[in-house]
Amino acid sequence: MQVEISRRKFLQGSVAFSIVGGSTATFTNLLATDKKPLHKNVKIATVCEMCVNKCTAWAKVENGIVKKLDPNPLFPKSKNMLCARGDAGIHALYDPDRLKYPLIRIGEKADGKFKRATWEEAYAAILDGTDKFTGLKRILDEEKDNRSTLGYCAGEGMGEHTFKQFMGDMMGTTNFVNHSSICLKTTTAGYALTLGAYGKADMDNASYVIMAGANRAEAILTPDTMDMFKRTRGRGLKLIVLDPRYTNTAIHADKWLGIKVGTDLAFVLALTYIVIKEVLYNKSFVAKNMNNFEAYKKHILENNYTPQWAEKITGIDAHIISTIARDFMAHAPKSIYYQGRRTAWSLQDFQLRRAQAIFTALGGGIDVKGGIVFGKKLPLGDHIVEVPIYSNVKQRIDKKEATFVGPNGTWIGFRNMIAEKRTPYPLRALFSYKQNPMQAIPNVAKSRKMFENLDLVVTIDTMPSDTVMMSDVILPECTYLEREDPVKSFAGVEPAIILRNKVINPMYETKALFDILKGLSKRISKPLFEVSAKYDEELKKALKDDGFEETFEEYNFDFTKAFEHTQEHINKERVVSEYGEKAYQILKEKGVFYPHMDKYFKQLSANEYQYYPEDKKYYTIPGGEKLDAQDTCIDEKEMASLKKNLGTNSGKVECYLETMEKNGQDPMPTWRDELYNETPKGKFKFVTGRHAQQTQNATANNIMLLDVMKENYVWINKEQAEEKGIEYGDIVEVKSSIGIIHIKAYPTIKIIKDVIFYVHGFGQESTGLTFGYRNGASDNMIIEDTIESVFGTAAMHETLVEIRKVG
Amino acid sequence: MNFAMALDYQSCIDCKACEVACKEENGVQLGADKQRIWVSQSEKSIFGEPFVALHPSQCNHCQDAPCVDVCPTGSSYFALGGIVMTNKDTCILCKGCMEACPYDARFVDDTHVAVDKCTFCYDTRIVNGEMTTACQATCPTKVRLFGDLDDEEGELIQMLNKRKFYVLKEDEGTVPKLFYMLPEHDKNYAMNSVDPDTNIYTWDEFKPIIEMAKAKRKPQWQNMQE
Repeated sequence: MQVEISRRKFLQGSVAFSIVGGSTATFTNLLATDKKPLHKNVKIATVCEMCVNKCTAWAKVENGIVKKLDPNPLFPKSKNMLCARGDAGIHALYDPDRLKYPLIRIGEKADGKFKRATWEEAYAAILDGTDKFTGLKRILDEEKDNRSTLGYCAGEGMGEHTFKQFMGDMMGTTNFVNHSSICLKTTTAGYALTLGAYGKADMDNASYVIMAGANRAEAILTPDTMDMFKRTRGRGLKLIVLDPRYTNTAIHADKWLGIKVGTDLAFVLALTYIVIKEVLYNKSFVAKNMNNFEAYKKHILENNYTPQWAEKITGIDAHIISTIARDFMAHAPKSIYYQGRRTAWSLQDFQLRRAQAIFTALGGGIDVKGGIVFGKKLPLGDHIVEVPIYSNVKQRIDKKEATFVGPNGTWIGFRNMIAEKRTPYPLRALFSYKQNPMQAIPNVAKSRKMFENLDLVVTIDTMPSDTVMMSDVILPECTYLEREDPVKSFAGVEPAIILRNKVINPMYETKALFDILKGLSKRISKPLFEVSAKYDEELKKALKDDGFEETFEEYNFDFTKAFEHTQEHINKERVVSEYGEKAYQILKEKGVFYPHMDKYFKQLSANEYQYYPEDKKYYTIPGGEKLDAQDTCIDEKEMASLKKNLGTNSGKVECYLETMEKNGQDPMPTWRDELYNETPKGKFKFVTGRHAQQTQNATANNIMLLDVMKENYVWINKEQAEEKGIEYGDIVEVKSSIGIIHIKAYPTIKIIKDVIFYVHGFGQESTGLTFGYRNGASDNMIIEDTIESVFGTAAMHETLVEIRKVG
Repeated sequence: MNFAMALDYQSCIDCKACEVACKEENGVQLGADKQRIWVSQSEKSIFGEPFVALHPSQCNHCQDAPCVDVCPTGSSYFALGGIVMTNKDTCILCKGCMEACPYDARFVDDTHVAVDKCTFCYDTRIVNGEMTTACQATCPTKVRLFGDLDDEEGELIQMLNKRKFYVLKEDEGTVPKLFYMLPEHDKNYAMNSVDPDTNIYTWDEFKPIIEMAKAKRKPQWQNMQE
């Protein structure tokens, strides 16, 4: 007997509650399209987009419907696995709340009233506006062709580059913001400026790892997660975890240290002090590969960064600090102070990452097996797009919000300037692709203010997120299973190229980003060129000489040219030009290609594969000193002490950064008491984090993932919860200087005192999300919009809160 | 053929990939209480420090399964390879099997109005010649190893020959076939992750127990119903 209750209920529910875009969802148009199915019964190689890792997968298609996603074991980075989110990708595709056709706002901002539109109507609304909002043409005319009046943001993904090319290179604006400044900027910059690149921790071979704050069991990063947890607790990798929380990563640690929030820099400096004082570092590596080591040595010793000093700040026993420093160096060069990813946490975060990188380098664990490695990248052929030049473009608005604001901006700085109406020139429009600033940026109230202050908001997304609800025009993108994306090459010890094939045709009226931009180009290229022609002096000259049509073509104002060929065609050319036709066929069929894959790739056992033979792996950057190949008894420490060819200016590890000094920042990692905020009695420091069942806020409506985690709970130390009369499941109020939320409590011994935690990605406010609406609480409702001063990165663990039981 | 599974539970990170892969593979009913497989967390405090052990689990496909005996309609049965299956067409939802199961591995599937449980992906994979379950294939850290206890050359027997293991609720006398591999290199962790009165086995010690139960039950093994 089969009574498909759940599915039918599920579909009915979707019709009743799908407020965005009306209610035409029926069984047939939910699960099938009018178009002929692309494939009937096959397995198609695809690449997961449920998080940033890009694991390869097989999509099993039956009668044009995607029935199952399975791991595709050919890709060395993702190996043979799919996590919970990857497995649940089908529910991103068949989510009944998906954006199904273009929508144009007809109500007041954020009230959720939109009308269904054709693509042409949506493009026209972007260009010409409606009675509710201003269009691009008028905005650019009023701003005298200052293209920088258009802001744009993008979430991480394989389409990010295409979107950047369109908005930055073709439309001509300088104002781009992406996840970097609310994610990993301080870390990538810290490692790049110190070691030449962020690198990759070789968790397959490291024998001693300090993982501070990072949580690879819950914030999955491939291949680190798969590599390390097969090797913990006596199986080759000694793991020290520093975290105010006893995370799933800490479960696997040989030692867990509940460090006080925001004090990691003091811990690393004390480790460094011991290593320098006791001369435990790799002297040969230091001599050959470290720039200005003597200055750093002096700096560390003179500042007296002793373990006793650090104990008072960090709460970690001085003897333990000394022991860890010695153990680390005993295992070096296969010792890593793990870089981490989602940062910044504190105001001192950049200096913390520098200190970590230098400390790892002291053991010689850089550019060597078992250390931080850089690997090789397989080249792809160029795809060149000709772009116009604009004379009236201005420097990005947030340039002065921090010492170094790069092309990815400072989200908080950028957002606050618009919200507080203090931009150097009007920033009037925002184009958002696959990002959700309403949920992603600390201080939601200010994000709301930003959207209110914008004349035109265009979003491209698959789901009616909180940000989509703030839009004027909504362009529905198809999901990753319905499009081919730009081919991608992954650098590493075992480099490879991967391709996301289209598995089924786009459902409803959705389109791939590439096709969305193609259509938009057709509609707006010429009218916007007319605006430029009016204000651009350079262009006026050309128009006089060559006439309108020719200048439009010759000066690359016709954006449609960039979209002449299909994404499939472009991908093919980029691969064939480097590796030939056969390589492309392999890539298309298997989703993965690297030279000699047919020979190198082998299944070793039910659970293990070989991607490259050991002697073909790229542990070390070419161009450095080599040991005599005849020498068969190579000492690890000796290997680590060869002269390297690092990517920094000097080719060495940079202990001292003059550019920092020139710009008023510390040239060497220095503890600053004035940048550390102690937690006053009665208050708690708030920390946030990630987990393995949801990706940020992008998967909040995924019904399968909600099955494994429905809502978030606030962690509070058990003893402190008892003092406050808080029990498991009680509703508590958490209050910071910028917001108040209500959430259920989880008193536990797994968190130190004076700290509370809840995971990111819950508390969606969009009524378009049937399943994700108001589950738990959003962290950014209470996190203050504090930035560190070097790059303007959000310092997410600086907020003090109060907590009390309310129900 | 005698199908079983080893779990290197020390590698589990509680990411729940197995739970989701299982639901997707087998069309398991949605709902947090509708799980064919799960990860249990046992949390304690040792000298004030937290300690957590993770035990991924599912139906033990007991060699001497009590759920089969109590079923009045023959809906619970042994399929070939000793896999414990349920026939949803003949289930009358008396829930006797749910009472009989010491592992709480069974639940009511409202979509089929029948009891549901882990099948080792017998119907979706094994009958098609695949030798991995969905939970094993998807696992980031490769906790599981599915295999055949009759295959002396197979990876499963090789692992059981090499390492010690235990089973859950041995006292129930059900002769379960989920083998929890005892962590080898960290004695403290191994000790803390196991109840003190749990018997630790080598394959040589456990094999006769399996063989005896198999001899008793094998006559009941049958082709897959439905």
